[in-house]
Amino acid sequence: MPPAVRLDGITKRFPGVVANDDVDLTVEAGTVHALLGENGAGKTTLMNVLYGLYEPTEGTVSLDGEAREFDSPRDAIDAGVGMIHQHFMLVDPMTVAENITLGNEPRKWGGLAVDRERAREEVTDLSGRYGFDVDPDARIEDVSVGVQQRVEILKALYRGADVLILDEPTAVLTPQEVEELFTVLEELTAQGKTIIFITHKLGEALEAADEVTVLRNGKNVGSLPTAETDREELATLMVGREVLMQFDKSPASPGETVLSVRDVGVEDERGVDVVRDVSFDVREGEVFGIAGVDGNGQSELVEAVTGLREQTEGSVSFEGQQIDDWSRRRRIREGMAYIPEDRQERGLVMEFDLVENAILGSQHREPFAEGGRIDWKRSRQHAEDVIERYDVRPPNADAEAHSFSGGNQQKFIVGREFERDPSLVVATHPTRGVDIGSTEFIHERLLDLRDDGRGVLLVSSKLDEVQGLSDRLGVMYEGELMDVVDPETVTEEELGLLMAGEYPDSYERAALAADASADDATNTNVAGERS
Amino acid sequence: MNLRDSAERLVRASAFERFLISAAALLLSIAVGFVLILAAGRMTTCGTAATSFLGVGFCYDPITVYDRLFLGAFGNVFADPLNGQFATTLSETTVLMFTGVAVAVAFRAGIFNIGTQGQLVVGALATAVSVLAASTLVSGLLGTVLLVPFGLLVGALFGAAYGAIPGLLKAYADANEVITTIMLNFVATSVALYLVQDHFADPESAATQTVPLPDYAVFPSTVFRPRDDFSLLAFLFAAAVLVGIYVFLERTSFGYDLRTSGIQPEAAEYGGVDAPRTVVTSMALSGALGGLGGAVYVLMILGNFQTGIPSYGFDGITVSILAGNNPLGVGFAALLFGVLKSGSIVVDVGTDVPPQLVGVLRGLIILFVAMPEFFRMIGRRVWTFEDDPSSRPVADGGSGGETDE
Amino acid sequence: MSSDSFGDLSWRRVVGGAAVLGLAVLAVAGVVAPESDAGRLLDILTAQTTLAATLRLSVPIAFAALGGIFAEKSGVINIGLEGLLIIAAFTGVYLTDVTGSVWMGVLGGVVASTVLAALFAVVCIEFRADQVIAGLAVWLIALGLAPFASQVVYGGPNTTSVETVGTLTIPLLSRIPFFGALFDATPFVYLMFVAVALSWYTINRTTFGRWVRASGENPKALDTAGVDVQRVRYAAVLLSGVLAGVGGAALSLSLGQFTGNGATMVNGKGFIAIVAYLFGNYNPVGALLSTMLFAGLDALQLTLQARDVFAVPKPLVRTIPYVTVIVVLALFGRTRTPEAAGDHYESGDD
Repeated sequence: MPPAVRLDGITKRFPGVVANDDVDLTVEAGTVHALLGENGAGKTTLMNVLYGLYEPTEGTVSLDGEAREFDSPRDAIDAGVGMIHQHFMLVDPMTVAENITLGNEPRKWGGLAVDRERAREEVTDLSGRYGFDVDPDARIEDVSVGVQQRVEILKALYRGADVLILDEPTAVLTPQEVEELFTVLEELTAQGKTIIFITHKLGEALEAADEVTVLRNGKNVGSLPTAETDREELATLMVGREVLMQFDKSPASPGETVLSVRDVGVEDERGVDVVRDVSFDVREGEVFGIAGVDGNGQSELVEAVTGLREQTEGSVSFEGQQIDDWSRRRRIREGMAYIPEDRQERGLVMEFDLVENAILGSQHREPFAEGGRIDWKRSRQHAEDVIERYDVRPPNADAEAHSFSGGNQQKFIVGREFERDPSLVVATHPTRGVDIGSTEFIHERLLDLRDDGRGVLLVSSKLDEVQGLSDRLGVMYEGELMDVVDPETVTEEELGLLMAGEYPDSYERAALAADASADDATNTNVAGERS
Repeated sequence: MNLRDSAERLVRASAFERFLISAAALLLSIAVGFVLILAAGRMTTCGTAATSFLGVGFCYDPITVYDRLFLGAFGNVFADPLNGQFATTLSETTVLMFTGVAVAVAFRAGIFNIGTQGQLVVGALATAVSVLAASTLVSGLLGTVLLVPFGLLVGALFGAAYGAIPGLLKAYADANEVITTIMLNFVATSVALYLVQDHFADPESAATQTVPLPDYAVFPSTVFRPRDDFSLLAFLFAAAVLVGIYVFLERTSFGYDLRTSGIQPEAAEYGGVDAPRTVVTSMALSGALGGLGGAVYVLMILGNFQTGIPSYGFDGITVSILAGNNPLGVGFAALLFGVLKSGSIVVDVGTDVPPQLVGVLRGLIILFVAMPEFFRMIGRRVWTFEDDPSSRPVADGGSGGETDE
Repeated sequence: MSSDSFGDLSWRRVVGGAAVLGLAVLAVAGVVAPESDAGRLLDILTAQTTLAATLRLSVPIAFAALGGIFAEKSGVINIGLEGLLIIAAFTGVYLTDVTGSVWMGVLGGVVASTVLAALFAVVCIEFRADQVIAGLAVWLIALGLAPFASQVVYGGPNTTSVETVGTLTIPLLSRIPFFGALFDATPFVYLMFVAVALSWYTINRTTFGRWVRASGENPKALDTAGVDVQRVRYAAVLLSGVLAGVGGAALSLSLGQFTGNGATMVNGKGFIAIVAYLFGNYNPVGALLSTMLFAGLDALQLTLQARDVFAVPKPLVRTIPYVTVIVVLALFGRTRTPEAAGDHYESGDD
């Protein structure tokens, strides 16, 4: 029996970039195949080629032994390939049934009108066949992310997909939802479907796949049956060297409290509570980490602390002063540095050159501005200093921000923020999308700041990063701070459960709760000492 | 390959590219206008054909029209640099510099101010009424020295207040400024009509207008002849304002705030910019500049307020877009439009072609400037051709290019 | 009036409720004291002629609003509706004059508006123009072109008078007090109701409508479902041209003349249409109701001007619809617009 999917020598070039370089990939029918690699390794590009979104520069695609050429996703769909993108391709205000049948609506009255009854029936039948539990009349915007993902899968199945591509399907799910997804995948392969899923998580690849292919820098560096490999081998293949992440960290010597968050609640744009009753302290000379699956309120919490979002409840103090009514500008002025989650939206003005970006946030302050006038000479000097000290490449202060790679953009932001002489650094996903060399560099600088007596609030979804760097670690789930733990002693299982919103059996909550309930808790840092 | 890459990069270099696109848009509009004039010439009847192409006679000759439009605006400038037509061109340019830079400032802040027209009307009326009232207090040279700046200040303040309304609505009620400013234009026209009719009408005139200002209360016609309604002083003032706005945008902290919120509001917020306040301030500034335009229009051209103000505000949009929203570029674009407006008078007198042609050209220029991708495609094709002999050349000019793509 | 059809946002209920309450107070005051201003206002409000004028004034706005709904639902903000109305209004009269047939005139108006909409579509969809600027250009082109053409053909910004579209009177029903106006109107008024119903059906019940909605909310979802987003958007924008064309032709051909001075006879109706569909929450029925609200105010101001009920000067009365639009927009600025409206979409973008 020919393989369900076979990619032969796929090369995909974009202007200035080779995203895929002569990649071969074979996937047997009825199996789960994991496509493993770091961000930017070319996994998604490869799958977009298979799905007809990109035309390969070179190479061929064959399905069931037959060579195919896809001009558009429509061709791929017709050939039985379905793709579930990382960002769901769903129309929020439409119902589940409308989304599943979009583009393939059952029709009546000479093809003009949608046969809504039949659409609903077909969707109900289909979800029943694979044991999915979805309400065809629910609106997408009202259902959970896990359900939305199932809708995406049903959408592909509805269009007769035999091969399903899932792009980072677990990124948005809780650990429990991940388990459910893997069960669904099993059910699908049992019924003869072929699954390719893209991931950068080793454990998932090993757990859910029959075979795994590792991509690095656009090349296939190995395809192995999961039964014959292990984490170490895959990790080595992924990063191209033995060591993963190690921190050379001296013990923290925390001082005064820099930031004190008390009972803070935050609402999102729709007025939904996304942060509830969160309390913690960050002290001088320590890294306070916040771990959690993306989208559990970390972003909103950080925005409230940095003054980009109003909190609806509670209060925040900074260096002993209550700052709830401080503007963003004032918070910057008083020594709060912030590495934002989205560097291209917030951290840099993409059309500005680095000279102009160097003063973002300081545009009203000396020495860059005096009496309302900006001193561009000093700004240039500052930009060049940051470029040199933080190794931004190419070292050209006159180039516009968008012309730099993501890693270099990040280094520039990190440099600008660190050079503010801050008493608190709030860093959100500081190394997301950054190459390994720069990542290590950023980590070192963060620890330097800590050792220099500054407070660091670190939010990251990379567990090894946040666990390795933090001196104390809070875990957030659905807007609540589950607990604050000691990153040295906490087990991976405990962390996983906390991130899923559960307390391990016979688990004793750390003293944080007591800390928060005590009224005069501002300067007592019981949370750090585990009972 | 290399040649093409570098050529493309050159075109992408934004300032130069913008200039090329503006020039190309202008040429393309003129080309479309050419066809339009010919077509209009077929729709009307005339004794003898003014021109003929390919054996078909046309009542209007586009070449004559464009000759009158562009060259007519300068009059006999070499023999008499102070001639009346040229003075008209420059006085139109002066007002358009204000409206153009008014739109540009808002644009740079990411706000689409279609309401410059209304802000100009409000500023003009306020200036005419308050200067008239104040002109009883002083007179003579002292009157000029005091009243003209006073009139400008009043125009700017009222324009600013009227511009701040849509700014407030956008900042605090999330109301789309495009719609509110257009509605406020209608309101300004009606309210001005009411105020002039019922409260400030000149009893000696049948027309709806205010009492004329005394000579000492308006811009002195420096160098040029008084009857040509142009003041070099006003022109220089306009030029100084453009330079001032340029410096403000590029060199000041608030200018930085404004530009940042214009291109990337999230980053501006991150950088400590108070978004709603910037919206209101930018709109007030834009309105002040529009109001200044109205004040200058009253103090230099009209000498009082009359209803039925020409569409300087809408022309300001075109001027600004054509100038890539750069205050210095506004100067040149305003001159171009000054030529068009003044030239349209020459066209009206000297040919049978309706002067509304300029209105059509205005729309076409905006349309073409709005589609840089079109010119990039043509540009790419030209370079592809140089690079790769197998591809076909693009017809010159681009009049056929549109259907080609 | 029912506030439910306006959508689920509670402020709409508040506005609707306040309007009903206001009318009730006015009615009571008017009945108690028929000689007062309230009494005279009530008299005007309940006159069959007021409803007739409201319906007549609604036609161009409602058609333009329906067009705007299709375009914006598909992700293309068509701010050039005003221009489409202008060009259709002129062409309608011109072709009626040339062919001697009003219906050829209507057809001509529709064609002219659709051609201009097609130009707009190409510029936005093919050449990625900023939709707002391109829409503005469409307005300004028409604002220049129509008076230009009128000047060429008729020697002035106003055209000659041509035959108008007569009224279609339904016997008996037209004699019902007040509501009789619904049955004694031009064919355009009937057509307007049909168009609203058809538009609602198209958007909510047909495959095309579903694609239009998906194209404006999440074009990538539609693209990955194998439907050509650009084609859907072209179709939607062209449809907005057709609908606005009917509205523009109806405007000039119910008066028999095109007037091209200043802002022309269209005089902001295209922009009011945009507010009408925003206020109607992109629902054709809601758009019709808000159109009738604005047109009703316009009809009211016309009657107030004619009858001198209040001692308010005419130019100020004329601003009532515009001010209302601003107030409405300020109150409900936070409408949920289609997610991808205003964004260019190209297959394969990432």
